[in-house]
Amino acid sequence: MAHPLRDKAAVSGIGETAYTRGTPKSGLALQLEASLAAIADAGLDPRDIDGVVPYFPGGGIAEDFVANLGLSDLKLSVFVPMGGATCVAAIQTAAMAVATGVCNHVLISVGRTGYSGARVSTRLQQFPQFALAAEFEAPIGMFAPAQLYAQGARRHMELYGTTLRHFAEVAVVTRRHAILNGNVVMNKPLTVEEHHASRMIADPFRLFDCSLESDGGAAIIVSAADRARDLKKPLVTVMGVAEGHPESPASIAQRPDLLEFGLAKAAPRAYAMAGAGPADIDVAEIYDCFTFTVINQLELLGFCKKGEGGPFVMEGRIALGGALPINTHGGLLSQGHVVGLNHVVELTRQLRREAGKAQVKDAEVGLVTGYGDMGDGSVAILRRAA
Amino acid sequence: MSVATAAPPERPLPTPTRESQPFWDGLREGRFMLQHCASCGKVRHYPRPVCPHCLSMDSTFKEVATGGAIHTWTVCHHPFNFFFKAAAPYIVALVDMDAGVRVNAPLRGVAEGDLKIGMRVKLGFEPVNKEVTLPFFVAE
Repeated sequence: MAHPLRDKAAVSGIGETAYTRGTPKSGLALQLEASLAAIADAGLDPRDIDGVVPYFPGGGIAEDFVANLGLSDLKLSVFVPMGGATCVAAIQTAAMAVATGVCNHVLISVGRTGYSGARVSTRLQQFPQFALAAEFEAPIGMFAPAQLYAQGARRHMELYGTTLRHFAEVAVVTRRHAILNGNVVMNKPLTVEEHHASRMIADPFRLFDCSLESDGGAAIIVSAADRARDLKKPLVTVMGVAEGHPESPASIAQRPDLLEFGLAKAAPRAYAMAGAGPADIDVAEIYDCFTFTVINQLELLGFCKKGEGGPFVMEGRIALGGALPINTHGGLLSQGHVVGLNHVVELTRQLRREAGKAQVKDAEVGLVTGYGDMGDGSVAILRRAA
Repeated sequence: MSVATAAPPERPLPTPTRESQPFWDGLREGRFMLQHCASCGKVRHYPRPVCPHCLSMDSTFKEVATGGAIHTWTVCHHPFNFFFKAAAPYIVALVDMDAGVRVNAPLRGVAEGDLKIGMRVKLGFEPVNKEVTLPFFVAE
């Protein structure tokens, strides 16, 4: 029997601001600007929105959406505090709400002044999920995600022979895709040599292994599929979606296997809900807080075996025209960091065939992941409805 | 334009909780103390109220061995907190302690090129003020 959520929800609207380094706008203003764009894209009126899942902490809360957009009858206000896994996990929350009739149209949104406002280490101090890192690791000189995740990357290199060259391939291909998009922070080509020569941040991560600190906003509308069918844009439904929480969720250090995190639990559930597997995926938008994180997730998603993610990304496989094009918009590495909601926007565009020069030909089924908060994971499989 | 006197960046320090206080007290006394379940005896770290194995809420802190083997490491170059700027680059080793938990701490006296998984190290104690002592590693 098909899963009761399969294809019951749709991504009906998408919106983005410009991605920049520097803005006079507040995070809330960016979030609302993107939200208005998503509502217009769906052909809805703000008063049609009856559920909100704003990114938290940071940016607006339900009260801001009611006050600014004039939402007349908000029926659901939820936070999904999963760091970088939030936005895709929020699709599961929204899908449950619209499939059960609690809501018709749920707005998921992010607004961030990651460049012009507080930087990453300061932001994370607001997260209760980072309390253990603050107590036990910050005092010995480890707190930023680049440092905390670097140890897993190093272990992968030592165990499986993954190399800097593999990391560079992810960075270089992602940059090439970004240039096709246009609305990106990093718009100049990147070479393998430039990657290797970039300054060390936390070994093995160099500057170009790390995602951007940028300003911008993104938003999507998740609607009941039967309502979305009548809206402006081609119908893109949620075939499968899941979130997963790793062992030792607030401490990477104490996790039995540093290379097994929430996505390892979420991926099989999402595939089962979708009735699909890795071989069915035409395009994938993979949460790329670091180049290595992409490699590790490709393994957990079953695109290759554990330890084989490095060689997997080589030889054009993940580039447009390859067997599994990824991050066709430039990702967090080159487009902008709006906690991966830009990945959902891009996947929706791909499945609507609105991706312009970065369009994956005949894309029918795609996958998007979220990753964050010390290893929470989320994944959604979307499809263009026939 | 006024000239601001830049205060030296402050070292981030732990804020012990009711659960973790005995761990930090142990370090201050030069003893590596870990929380053990009073019912099933299993060790757990970081300190927390409930044993995830048997759900007992009774626990005791016991002194354990300071040796261990490197699980993985990083070398921190960019000082995300400017207190660490002078120390960078510094190695932070994640160590599988013989006592059955992991500890993340700076590794001193070992060249980056000599690092490998399984290398034996032992934990040392470095007082940073009257209340707080932090761990570090050296080769065993």
